[in-house]
Amino acid sequence: MSAPVSAIREPLITGSKTYHQITEDLVSPTEKAPGLSWIIAFSVAAALATFGVFCIAWTIWFGIGSWHLNRTIGWGWDITNFVWWIGIGHAGTLISAILLLFRQKWRTGVNRAAEAMTIFAVLCAALFPGIHVGRAWVVFYFFPYPNTRGPLWPNFNSPLLWDLFAISTYFTVSLLFWYTGLVPDFATVRDRARGIRKKIYHFLSFGWNGSAKHWQRWESISLVLAGLATPLVLSVHTIVSFDFATSVIPGWHTTIFPPYFVAGAIFSGFAMVLTLMLITRKILKLEDYITLAHIESMNKVILVTGTIVGVAYLTELFIAWYSGYVYEQFAFFNRALGPYWWSYFGMMFCNVISPQFFWSRKIRRNIVWTFFLSIVVNIGMWFERFVIIATTLARDYLPSSWSFYKPSWVEIGIFTGTIGIFFVLYLLFVRVAPVVAIAEVKSILKSSGDQYSGANAHHHHEEAVSTDNH
Amino acid sequence: MKGKNQGVWIGEKDLTNDPSFIEISQQEFASLPEILGNEEAVEQVEGNRRDFLKMLGFGVGAAAMAASCDIPIKRAIPYTVKPDTIVPGVATYYASTYTNGSECESILVKTREGRPIKIEGNDLIGYGGTSARAQASVLSLYDTARYKNPMMNGGDSTWAEIDKKAIEVLASSNSVVLVTPSIFSPSLQKAIDAFTSKYNAKHVQYDTVSHSALLDATEKAFGLRAFPNYHFDKADVIVSFDADFLGNWGDSNKNSVDFISKRKIKTVSGAKMNRLYQVETHMSLTGSNADNRVLVKPSEQGAAIVALYNAVTGSSLPGGALNAKAKKAVSLMADDLKKASGKSLVVCGTNNEAEQMLVLAINNALGNIGNTMDMSDALMTFKGDDKAMMQLMNQMNSGSVDTIVLMDVNPAYDFSAGGKFSAALGKVKNKLAIAYSNNESVDGAMITAPSSHYLESWGDAQPNPSKYMLQQPAINTIFDTRQDAETLLTWAGVDYGGDIMNFVSNVFAENAFQNQSSSSNLKRYWETALHDGFVSVNTTSGASGFSGSASASGITKPVGGDGIELKIFEGALGNGANTNNPWLMEMPDPITRTSWGNYLAIPVEFDGFRKMISMNGLKDGDLVNVTVNGDKITVPVVQQFGQAPGTAALALGYGRTVAGACAQGVGVDMNPFVGMDASGNRSYSVSNIEISKKVGKEKDYSSVQYHHTYGVTDTDKATGKEINADEAALVTFDYGMGVQGYQGALKNRSVMYYSSLEELGESVAELKKRREHAQHLNDAQIYGGHDYKYNNGHHWGMHVDLTSCTGCSACTVACMAENNVPVVGKTEVARHHEMTWLRIDRYYYGELENPNTVYQPMMCQHCDNAPCENVCPVNATNHSSEGLNQMTYNRCVGTRYCANNCPYKVRRFNWLDYTTADIFPGNQPTLNGENTPFGADNLTRMVLNPDVTVRSRGVIEKCSFCVQRIQSGKLTAKLEGRKLRDSDVKTACQTACPTGAITFGDMNNKGGNLDSKLKNPLNFIVLEEVNVRSSVQYQMRVNNRNEKLDA
Repeated sequence: MSAPVSAIREPLITGSKTYHQITEDLVSPTEKAPGLSWIIAFSVAAALATFGVFCIAWTIWFGIGSWHLNRTIGWGWDITNFVWWIGIGHAGTLISAILLLFRQKWRTGVNRAAEAMTIFAVLCAALFPGIHVGRAWVVFYFFPYPNTRGPLWPNFNSPLLWDLFAISTYFTVSLLFWYTGLVPDFATVRDRARGIRKKIYHFLSFGWNGSAKHWQRWESISLVLAGLATPLVLSVHTIVSFDFATSVIPGWHTTIFPPYFVAGAIFSGFAMVLTLMLITRKILKLEDYITLAHIESMNKVILVTGTIVGVAYLTELFIAWYSGYVYEQFAFFNRALGPYWWSYFGMMFCNVISPQFFWSRKIRRNIVWTFFLSIVVNIGMWFERFVIIATTLARDYLPSSWSFYKPSWVEIGIFTGTIGIFFVLYLLFVRVAPVVAIAEVKSILKSSGDQYSGANAHHHHEEAVSTDNH
Repeated sequence: MKGKNQGVWIGEKDLTNDPSFIEISQQEFASLPEILGNEEAVEQVEGNRRDFLKMLGFGVGAAAMAASCDIPIKRAIPYTVKPDTIVPGVATYYASTYTNGSECESILVKTREGRPIKIEGNDLIGYGGTSARAQASVLSLYDTARYKNPMMNGGDSTWAEIDKKAIEVLASSNSVVLVTPSIFSPSLQKAIDAFTSKYNAKHVQYDTVSHSALLDATEKAFGLRAFPNYHFDKADVIVSFDADFLGNWGDSNKNSVDFISKRKIKTVSGAKMNRLYQVETHMSLTGSNADNRVLVKPSEQGAAIVALYNAVTGSSLPGGALNAKAKKAVSLMADDLKKASGKSLVVCGTNNEAEQMLVLAINNALGNIGNTMDMSDALMTFKGDDKAMMQLMNQMNSGSVDTIVLMDVNPAYDFSAGGKFSAALGKVKNKLAIAYSNNESVDGAMITAPSSHYLESWGDAQPNPSKYMLQQPAINTIFDTRQDAETLLTWAGVDYGGDIMNFVSNVFAENAFQNQSSSSNLKRYWETALHDGFVSVNTTSGASGFSGSASASGITKPVGGDGIELKIFEGALGNGANTNNPWLMEMPDPITRTSWGNYLAIPVEFDGFRKMISMNGLKDGDLVNVTVNGDKITVPVVQQFGQAPGTAALALGYGRTVAGACAQGVGVDMNPFVGMDASGNRSYSVSNIEISKKVGKEKDYSSVQYHHTYGVTDTDKATGKEINADEAALVTFDYGMGVQGYQGALKNRSVMYYSSLEELGESVAELKKRREHAQHLNDAQIYGGHDYKYNNGHHWGMHVDLTSCTGCSACTVACMAENNVPVVGKTEVARHHEMTWLRIDRYYYGELENPNTVYQPMMCQHCDNAPCENVCPVNATNHSSEGLNQMTYNRCVGTRYCANNCPYKVRRFNWLDYTTADIFPGNQPTLNGENTPFGADNLTRMVLNPDVTVRSRGVIEKCSFCVQRIQSGKLTAKLEGRKLRDSDVKTACQTACPTGAITFGDMNNKGGNLDSKLKNPLNFIVLEEVNVRSSVQYQMRVNNRNEKLDA
């Protein structure tokens, strides 16, 4: 596992770091008292999360009637948010698993945070299937286990059940993967800690002692989990798309959904990783680990997946026209020009037009532009799910049943609540675990150690100058 | 056995073969320590028998005391002696008569364990089915607002006290007036006669919506003040001037049956239909079923009638100006009428005596009198006299009325006379009320004698001289109430023996038994009448021949200018008496599809490009100020297709101020704006009203249907071509590209098919082609389906004839009553949370400004390839071997995936705790701010059908094809050891439908009712190409439009 750093390739870590410096840089945030900006951010996130929990309690007490869904539109913000969060949760595993298998060394700077983001996003996503049901207290009917009710089994034909399996598998594997990576880093933290912290990190690091055998097993398990996680990256959103693709509703019933959903998920996942990384790197001063090269790479992924998504949108339109099927034709006509035209327009603009800016290298390497566009893409992907779910249902087969939907304060509260929960977890994460995988980063540094003073120093110098110019 | 282990062992001693154990085990009665006989031993034992009993007694007592603190009291009282007529779990039916104002229907009352829970039509009368109001009347029995005991001066009292006081007051009064609705009950009439003669009282009758002009006209023309008996089943051509005879006018239930009987189409070749022209301002239920509608302003009605009179008789009475389209239509109508002389009918709903006389003269000229209308068996349910009421008002104002007795009326509300009646009522010294519940008129009465519900009463009705109906109680009085006749007789001092049944049967003997020849045994005749609900008698009304003279002098005169004219009409709810019935309040108006309130109907136009515009740019649900005769009211509007240009319309019956919680303050009261014409009859139109611009938005626009049309056409301004205007109007934003909608977006759907009679052949051929195409698509699949499962037993299906459906909504209410469908209230309906399992979709088609209408009852289609079933993650909805799509409520988690995936959108989700069936307290919504939420009230809950589960919050529900009726029908057949017959199982919607539009049955029963209907070439399956294999077939809507009117 070595990554040769050639003279023409930019180094993955800048700043002429020594191993000790890396440890210092990455472990110190867990050892210091939080700064004011962290406290403010955490308070805001915790407040949103608290209100979200209140809204969830409200929903369970009074019923789904506290939302503005209706007889025609049975899913609205709830499932939109669910799919949106699941999509965001795609980047982590893609970065850790697929990029690991493809030997993309640059991933080491961002994989830890991306995986954490995945886990928190999937947690937020998993909330919605649980609370969007009418009787949350009987959700256990979903689980296939021998029971005293017959036994009565769930319906294995239902995509919602496949969803349950897909998401829980994905969550489990992602969690394992993330935690496996954390074990040696927790050991590093442990070695520097004292008192109760030492005890806690001792427990968390599973008695890691850095022996060669440990490292060998650790590498093996990482590879095995990467192998397991790779198909999951594709399967999770494929199966989420089946919720729609296997239905009979025009606008949902399309075979293009699986690839389209997966591309969209990676697209939105990378956008969210960028949003988070840009903040994290600034606040934790990780500019040397998460470099402009990282940002540029991720922007390239966004450009590619965004364009794939754009092609998918156009294909849908073409197929609707080509099908000669009036319901399908009208569904797409209605999406673009009907009462929800703004959400379709928002989707098209944010997801197809906005990533095209990344054709420009300058914009790809510009922090402000990247941050702005990553937010735009996140918004766009939310619109996409809203377009697919709510606007499709609003006008389907029978004109008599057409309806309109806008969310209630409870639905908005739950959505902002999940954002709060996400950031509470992420902010806690940056205080208790190294945000960048120390062991893996060191592995990149190691291979370039021999030529350390040469190329790297030069690059670093050049980099510093160009950064100043911005 | 000793020493042997045979492999069977109970304890380890069996295995070890301990000799002492074996010894003991071989004794049959092992010796136990001797305790009971041994005093010493007893003392040694720590707890003895007495202690045990003490402990037991204390323990049980303590536990009982602790537990009894919060155990709720269950009100289930078992029968110690079982009544003969009640078998738990088995329904008992009683024949009775539904009466409410001028409505009168022969019905069967379904009771379970002594509670009336459902109204069914009485087939014996010649047709089954009922009106929506009759269906809903069972709920008013359990109305929480009804009077529960006699009252005096607003305080609780007893019958003895109020009777004494009433007799005292009446005896000391110089002038007594009794105000009632039209009385057509012989026994009640007798009681009234006794009362009026005792106190020399004056009896005034009036109807909530007046027909007094027609009655005055018939009195002059035939010497009999009665509503003619119209035979729509004998008329080939019908012209109706504003008469909503399918909705509210005359015997509308029978009218519907008769009218539709001429519109049943079985084959394409030789198909025949009657033709209805409706000349009206506002789209009425009848107008929506008309073949051609002619739009006139209310003030033009007189001119239109005169024009028709002139065209039919060749006279030249001066009528006044009429719009050009109507003028042309009138001459075409006259041609049609003349061709069908003796088989045509002209009816008129305007309350103008001269106009009614002209219409009678037209019928006379066409030779219809005695054929399609007759006076010998006239309808006696309308007797109201507006002039008498006005006279009463003047007398009250002059102080010459001492005592007024208001019996089942609410004139302060429905005979408002601009609010003057209420003021006059205040000047009467003594106000006595005989009433069911509090209202604007009886509020603050000196004496309130609570009436019993008709389901608690003995009574009779003679709607026509030849028909004598009986009313019998289906339950004892729930509260301390008394039926009207008893109260009147008591106050009149008549000794009726304390048993009102004897009184009713004596009247029956005099009026029915004496006038018949079929039976000579009174007792048997009475019992037959009770069993059947009615008897036919040989009484006639004694009208003379037509001798009226037509004159145009008193007709409404056209108002020139651009002023907007307002039409005030009676909608599906009637005029106020039913407003406190939540089933009816929630029932969407068939025309506007709104509920919980009245909406100002304003005409719709197409802007020639992409917008449906209405006056002042108003949209559905906008609030406007309407100035009528100087008074300003604020109402929400609804854009109404087929509303005459330059007019607006608003329904009566809302805006109650003193009523039950459900009616209180819902909508606006239009009664104060009902005026009086020159001849003293109430007139239901106002000219020169002003409608403001939008002044706000209604908080809860409670409409269940947002899209109303199915390809209505108009002219495109740019090209001058005819386009589907509604399809153009589906565009909200076109990015400045000038896109004009997607032509065919609605019309090319396979949701609904219609045709005119002329084009029936082509339409059926086209339908066949489209169905074949759909079936071709459906055949191209790898999935084999599971149709083979349904070949052996029953395979339930349904057929709905769209031509027969008038949209009356009786089925909707019947479904709510049968299946415990919750009522959700205005706010919830506005959020599209209505729970109706069966809804009636209403689409307009044809030309935009004056379209035709189709009603499409839509319920679960019980698809044999149901999309809802495979998506449910927990198998809560699944398919029975009889083709039923079943819903298992207690398995439902509530993901709503099934509802999303239903192409027909018939699945309903329990958004909130509408029924008090979940575990969370205090989370039930109210309908209209009532104290106890409707669904939680124990009195209201008495109406629940015990055969149907009450669904909890968070589960999906939908039409079950009345599975409880299927089960009970199968049981009946099984008990009788025979095959199931069509008559064993009928769904609630089917039995409620007066016109027989709905047929339910077993598709495997070849030759049965359903099977024969399924062979009709006009049938189609909604969304057939989606391949969900619906079990419901619809029959194309056919109209008999006179195309010459459009040319």
